[in-house]
Amino acid sequence: MTKKLNVPPFVTKIIVLLGIVGPGLITANIDNDAGGIATYSLAGAKTGYRLLWVLLPITVALIMVQEMSARMGIASGKGLADLIREKFGLRITFYSLILLIFADLGNTMAEFAGIASAGEIFGISKYISVPVSSLLVWLLVLKGDYKIVERVFLFGCLVYLTYIASGVVISPDWGEIATAILVPDVQSITSSDLPIIVGLLGTSITPWMQFYIQSAVVEKGITTKHLWHSKIDVIVGCTSMLIVTLFIIICCAATLFHSGVVITDAKDAALALEPLAGKYSSVLFGVGLFNASFFAAALLPLATSYYVCEGMGWESGVDKTFKEAPNFFTIFTLLIVISAALVLIPNIGLFNILIGSQIINGVFIPIVLIYILKLCNDPDVMGEYTNTPTYNFFSYLIIFFMILVNLGMFYFEFFKK
Amino acid sequence: MGKFNDLNEISIHFSHTEGIPLITTEGKKLGKLKDFFVDYEEVYPAVLAIQYKSNNQLFYVEWEYVKNFTLKEVIIEHDCFIGRSRSFPKAKTNKVITSLLANQFSGSTMEFPPLGKIILDRQVVDTSGKKVVRVNDIQFIRSGQNLRVTHAAIGMRSMMRRLGYEKFIDFVVKAINPKSLYLKNEVLINWKFVHAVPNKNVRSNVRLTLSDDEIKKLHPADLADILEDLDSYGRELIFSNLDPKLAAETLQEVEDEVKISLIKNEKPEVIAKIIEEMDVDDAADTLNELSDTKAEQIISKIEDTETADEIRELREYQETTAGGLMSKEYFEVAPESDKKSILEKFKKEHDYIENIIDIFVTGESGELVGICPIQNLLLCDDNVLVKNIMISEDIKSTEPETHWKIVASMMSKYNLMNIPVIGEDKTMLGIISVDDLLPWLLDEK
Repeated sequence: MTKKLNVPPFVTKIIVLLGIVGPGLITANIDNDAGGIATYSLAGAKTGYRLLWVLLPITVALIMVQEMSARMGIASGKGLADLIREKFGLRITFYSLILLIFADLGNTMAEFAGIASAGEIFGISKYISVPVSSLLVWLLVLKGDYKIVERVFLFGCLVYLTYIASGVVISPDWGEIATAILVPDVQSITSSDLPIIVGLLGTSITPWMQFYIQSAVVEKGITTKHLWHSKIDVIVGCTSMLIVTLFIIICCAATLFHSGVVITDAKDAALALEPLAGKYSSVLFGVGLFNASFFAAALLPLATSYYVCEGMGWESGVDKTFKEAPNFFTIFTLLIVISAALVLIPNIGLFNILIGSQIINGVFIPIVLIYILKLCNDPDVMGEYTNTPTYNFFSYLIIFFMILVNLGMFYFEFFKK
Repeated sequence: MGKFNDLNEISIHFSHTEGIPLITTEGKKLGKLKDFFVDYEEVYPAVLAIQYKSNNQLFYVEWEYVKNFTLKEVIIEHDCFIGRSRSFPKAKTNKVITSLLANQFSGSTMEFPPLGKIILDRQVVDTSGKKVVRVNDIQFIRSGQNLRVTHAAIGMRSMMRRLGYEKFIDFVVKAINPKSLYLKNEVLINWKFVHAVPNKNVRSNVRLTLSDDEIKKLHPADLADILEDLDSYGRELIFSNLDPKLAAETLQEVEDEVKISLIKNEKPEVIAKIIEEMDVDDAADTLNELSDTKAEQIISKIEDTETADEIRELREYQETTAGGLMSKEYFEVAPESDKKSILEKFKKEHDYIENIIDIFVTGESGELVGICPIQNLLLCDDNVLVKNIMISEDIKSTEPETHWKIVASMMSKYNLMNIPVIGEDKTMLGIISVDDLLPWLLDEK
């Protein structure tokens, strides 16, 4: 009898490793896309270490929110759009999905802005890089394998580890940083910090992430037996995101903030990697930014059209024909075409698009969170896995603070100016 | 006195009834219409009771107490019985309230869930269109003194109606294209084809009494598509109600990921029953998706030891090779057999073997000595011996380690419907037929 064919052992190892990477870890890392990098860089360059303490509560909030979404997926076996539709009816579903499309249009624009910025580092005009990339993205999704796209994206995210290396090379005052992280410095917050805080919030806790993690959990078919594994997966994922975020801000603070550089484009942001990579810093940054933007530009419109079709009850799937699933392909294509077209408007500030889209996320997320909380307290959906009162208390506290920061930002942006 | 004296419409939409005030004949306001309880056991269920909401609590009033039903208000008989429950208890034998209490203890009452809660906005299986759809609206028709459910609406028009944009969109579409199909055709599913999906959200003491017969009549391939579209709970519930044979056929058709989720949580004994119904090669593939310990647990539960051994043997091979793809069931005869005895054997065995195209002639130690297409045998005299008509020179065969692509190109080159797999000393191990390779060629694996 012949035995199974021998596959090189390292290949098997990689396959096993990728199989273990859980939905929590994947979702948290997809979060570090172009808009994320831009927001963190800006936060570091503009405010130094001053806002580092904000990251800790944001991470705790992120862990709680992601845990709820994952638990919901495990307990109900359904996606978030599905549950919103069944619990709140067509009308609410329709309007929240419109908001989601709007927010994700902003996010997709941010990805194309990222592609344009990365192109500019290498001296490629955005009028070439964006149309070519959008066509490639469109083909990649229609002809490629979604899982492979996701994995290539995650692999490319390893570029962000260079921020950690760069941070170590810079060797800043770690004591000062530790204080800045742990001791909230509320007095020094100025009105111009509020958009940055909303941006940080919006880039860390995005509406579409909640849909993403829930459907990933459902797709994996995780059962209530493995509820604890999923919690650990979420915590590990969010913590890894926190570490990357921290180091991006630290690097930018130590280089850009100290020398007083104001970030206007991606070239400036690349300076944060200079201590590590020297004159190659901009190449490194450019490649990293391009990877993150390009693959996120594929994943985002695809994921969005899946959720919209799920909620509205339309056919979906890239293996269908246009005739079978017209709405799915229309939404997906329009998202790419419109966002690429908007980025091509002459003289539009690419970096402003990056930051602006994250602010839209920050404004929209409390609404999604309220739905999530309501669903998580419904025994019809969750069975015995509903939220505890303490968990609810802290969740509402988080929403309360989010709305407070949002209102504060609107007040100072629109009435005080 | 008719209940519908002031109702102009013949058919009404669920979406137009939400929030209609319920008023007694004395003019007292009871609450706002929320949902309907219907008799799910009928083909076109009649409304049994109206559920209404008052001060955030749910009540119901039975249909017989409804005096006048319009889309503006519903007049209810004064001082009638008001039930306070989220579900509607329906006595199976009679509807007298005193015996209902007794029935509750003897276990013969049925708790009916409200119609909107289990149908509206939910996924249902359209057994005529053979797909999973989401319901936007429900249509009733007035028949005599009753209101009956007739259709589930799923199209764009019903969606706009729920959103409250029906008139506006109608106006716009009329202005642009008065002959648009949108205005004429509403996408509806006849209620007899609507199959509600078991739902975790409906409390467990409430049972849906819709029969699964319609589901069981579907082709396994259609059923597989439907299962793929459902959430894990509904999927598992429908699957676990299938008999082992249909379950096996369906399992062979579903995507790998769904396949795993369907068998992961079942008991080994149950899966063993299903596995036994499968072709041995599919069975081995299915078990390969599970961990070795779990697979072995299942195999040990298979009653027929011969099948169990064959599955074990097949699991030794890599999935992408001829060995992994081959089937152990083929039509095998000795060289000395005559046409009559072969046809006898054929009668006995054709139930267990998929598509018999060729007869494989094997020697005493199981080595392949020749192949005879069944049509060649049919054309011969009754007393002919198979060894005299079989092809014994240059038999096209493959080894178990051969990659499936090479097998496929060989079969294409020599126009073969099936190809024998032979091991050392030309021992016949199994056959690969075209339909084993098709999914791989279509990249469905």
